[in-house]
Amino acid sequence: MPARILAVDDEPNMLRLLKTILTSKTDYEVVTTNNPMEAAKLLKEEPFDLLITDLKMPVMDGMDLIETVKQIDANLPIVMITAYGTIETAEEAIQKGAYDYITKPFRQEAILITLKRALEWRQMQLELQKLKQ
Amino acid sequence: MFKFLRRFLKEEPDEQALLREKFAHFRRLLDNNNAALAIMADMEEKATGDFLFDSGYIYGQVEALSGAVARMIEALHVLTQDRYRHLDLVYNNILADTLQTLAAVPAVPETPFILWLDQLDREMAASCGAKMANLGEIRNRLQLPTPQGFVITARAYQHFLAGANLAAQIEAILEETDVQDLASLEVVSQKIRSLIQAAPVPPELATAMTAAAASFQGRPIAVRSSAVGEDTASSFAGQFATLLNVSPGSLVDHYKAVVASKFTPQAIFYWKYQGFSLNELPMAVGCLEMVPARASGIMFSLNPQAPQQESIVITAVWGLGKFAVDGSVSPDIFEVKRGPGLPLLARRLGRKTKALAARRGGGLEELALTEAEADQPCLTQAQLQALAEIALRLEEHFHGPQDIEWALQEDGTIVLLQSRPLRLSAPAFQGPRPERPSVPVAPLLSQGVRAVGGVAAGPVYVLRREADIPQIPPGAVVVLRQPSSRLVQVMDRIAAILTEVGSPTDHMTILAREFQVPTLVDVTGVRQALYTGLEVTVDADLAVVYPGIHQELLVKPSGPPEPWRQDPVYAKLKSVLAHISPLNLLDPAGEDFTPAACRTFHDLTRFCHEKAMDAMFQLDVEASAQAKGVSRYRADLPINLFVLDLGGGLREPGKPLISEEDVLSLPFLALMQGFCHPGVRWAGQVAVDFKGFISVFANTLYDQNKADTSLGGKSFAIITDKYVNLNSRLGYHFGLVDAYVSTERNDNYITFQFKGGAASLDRRERRAQLLALLLEDMGFKAQAISDLVRGRLVKYSQEDTAKILVQVGTLLAFSRQLDLALANDAVMQKVVAAFKAGDYGLQSLLEG
Repeated sequence: MPARILAVDDEPNMLRLLKTILTSKTDYEVVTTNNPMEAAKLLKEEPFDLLITDLKMPVMDGMDLIETVKQIDANLPIVMITAYGTIETAEEAIQKGAYDYITKPFRQEAILITLKRALEWRQMQLELQKLKQ
Repeated sequence: MFKFLRRFLKEEPDEQALLREKFAHFRRLLDNNNAALAIMADMEEKATGDFLFDSGYIYGQVEALSGAVARMIEALHVLTQDRYRHLDLVYNNILADTLQTLAAVPAVPETPFILWLDQLDREMAASCGAKMANLGEIRNRLQLPTPQGFVITARAYQHFLAGANLAAQIEAILEETDVQDLASLEVVSQKIRSLIQAAPVPPELATAMTAAAASFQGRPIAVRSSAVGEDTASSFAGQFATLLNVSPGSLVDHYKAVVASKFTPQAIFYWKYQGFSLNELPMAVGCLEMVPARASGIMFSLNPQAPQQESIVITAVWGLGKFAVDGSVSPDIFEVKRGPGLPLLARRLGRKTKALAARRGGGLEELALTEAEADQPCLTQAQLQALAEIALRLEEHFHGPQDIEWALQEDGTIVLLQSRPLRLSAPAFQGPRPERPSVPVAPLLSQGVRAVGGVAAGPVYVLRREADIPQIPPGAVVVLRQPSSRLVQVMDRIAAILTEVGSPTDHMTILAREFQVPTLVDVTGVRQALYTGLEVTVDADLAVVYPGIHQELLVKPSGPPEPWRQDPVYAKLKSVLAHISPLNLLDPAGEDFTPAACRTFHDLTRFCHEKAMDAMFQLDVEASAQAKGVSRYRADLPINLFVLDLGGGLREPGKPLISEEDVLSLPFLALMQGFCHPGVRWAGQVAVDFKGFISVFANTLYDQNKADTSLGGKSFAIITDKYVNLNSRLGYHFGLVDAYVSTERNDNYITFQFKGGAASLDRRERRAQLLALLLEDMGFKAQAISDLVRGRLVKYSQEDTAKILVQVGTLLAFSRQLDLALANDAVMQKVVAAFKAGDYGLQSLLEG
């Protein structure tokens, strides 16, 4: 089953590029929203394997989103997209439970590798859980 | 005496402080030049399609770039006493144009409110949206059947919104609403949709719609969104409305309903926080005669799940097509081989227990189907074949796999409702970069810095002089000593560029990136290793050059993939770059090297950098060198040299008498090392004696002029740790060297000038030519005008610039002994050869 990814960014153009890359270079299924408030709703409604989100967004920023998401699925890997120069905040995001961050602009390969790693981690977490049960 | 008195009469400005200040501005200009070049290179790189970036990136880079260029211009004003004030105006214009491009929304073409489907083709997507434009293309260029109808254009949409003053009302609603959660967003969305549906359509537009609708003679229609850019902005566009089986009589209301469907909660969110404007995604609306379909469905011209199977996938349901896509019933699925005879590969019949149908009198109804109908295939073998043929025709015509919506009429004929590009998923995760095939030969060269990636092959052309650029044959791998922005003249037809020196951020490589010409810079020894006519393959990514043409390595510089070129952010970057990276100021000696000729930020940086170097070169140092704090340089040579340190050039600034060991300035040390080369003859004058032999005269000009200070017997050097400006005056000779040597390659340069002498004009001119030849040999761009020679060399590494500076020092000393010797061109050639061989004392000529 191909991995399902939810991408959140308030800039629709960025979302589109992201979706284009992911769907042309991988078999991931990609759902996007430009509204961070919708992310929680989507995560509750449908199963996802990974969330990739912009850090700086109106009303609900990436940091708020981490907390919301952690309540829905504590094991969902979150990859944060940050602008150049906000590394400290990105590190704070990792502290809060994001899996990784990537600084934009970034190379196509960079995001593909980051997501692949995050999904492998997700897989491991799920297997670990099964063993514990 | 006069000067002396004047000092007491009025306070002299502190010349040294002024000079220091000038130097600080020069330094600032260099720093900002580097920053600007780096930003431009970065933006060009992002435009290759390898990167993901957002509009924030473009805004940020434009801001940083325009800031750097503004600081360069400010610094240049100080350096040149406002000589180029016109630059301010030029800069403001370029900046204004750039910002305008940055903010611009694609213009909506001026068209009538209504365009008939018979008039449309795919080039008209900007007027009527891709959906209707493609349908027009199918109907008119491919002559395939589609419903009849028309489109209410994007222009009409603008007219509607402006007429009802909707933008201001929507802004007001957004202003007063506090968006906290999804529910509140949904409320705002509803409010705005109601507002649009209640807004009056301007009478001229309503009249045009009603008149067009009359062509349906009361037959029901389908009204569908066809927003301009809908295909590219799908991430937030959501699903716009499609109204099926409605009455043409109330088209105006249907139209408003479709326009209102643009204002989804996602669009509202975008509007509130990202400055979305009404003019984005202008909503064209298609009106088509309703097809009372017996069966409908979707087909993919290439199976997206298994492209390697080379099959066409067709799904079908009874009645209207909606049930085929929304999962209400399980459709028939047919797989047809894309090959001769279009054989059926597989079919899976669904149980189609119901159908969606157009209700008489308007609207849709669900019909229950009998057991027999439910299991009966919707399409016959012949119909499948006909559909498959259409799929392949559309794929061929639109240059790529298609996602096609079709309907089968009661009489069995097929009608097409839509065709759009089919996005294929890659089968699995693809690695970052495919490995290069191995090459059976050893590389000729494996060094250099990748400036523009890619692989290319062709015959080498070694470019010796810029004047030869027009002679470069198409497809050549151009080899040259250092980057030349004039190569832009042929960049559209050359295969690759290899330079001996250079950096990935200089003018030429920014242009090469724009033209996607694989380029390697800093390829040491490239001009020795390669010769004109030799066929080579250049892999710029790996920085290797192979002998011969290796087809297996060649990857076409394809540019970014199709979805990229359509992407609004990418398109924005490209259009903004048009104000930034092209270089029009190619020749600093040309008449059009002026502020007014600057069209781009790149031009501005080039102009400022060049003129700043000129300004430093022309520094009036005399006043400073006469003031206090100047050190006298002691050498074993008959020179009268004074040194002023502006910072870091001497161990002990202001020490009255200094020698080599007191000097920290790298360029000054290099220059003096060459100047004091033991091989240079100082004790006598080389000349041709009355028998035509070269000999040394004991009576030297130096001796004559030793005491003649009125001719400028003093030489001055202004130095810092990385900079030297030397005015050398040896008898009648005026030499000037201005140089900057640092680890930042883009900053490094040497400017050289030499003029004067006591010999006749023809001999002085010959000397100027000789110096020009020797300078060119060292890598300078040099020019001799009468007895004046000028040369400039830029952007060599710290080590190379220092090495060349040693040679320049020697050349400066060497040249003063030549006055009388250069009686004819033959002697000149011998002297050139002697200098190149390191025979600075011209022993070979004396003995010969």
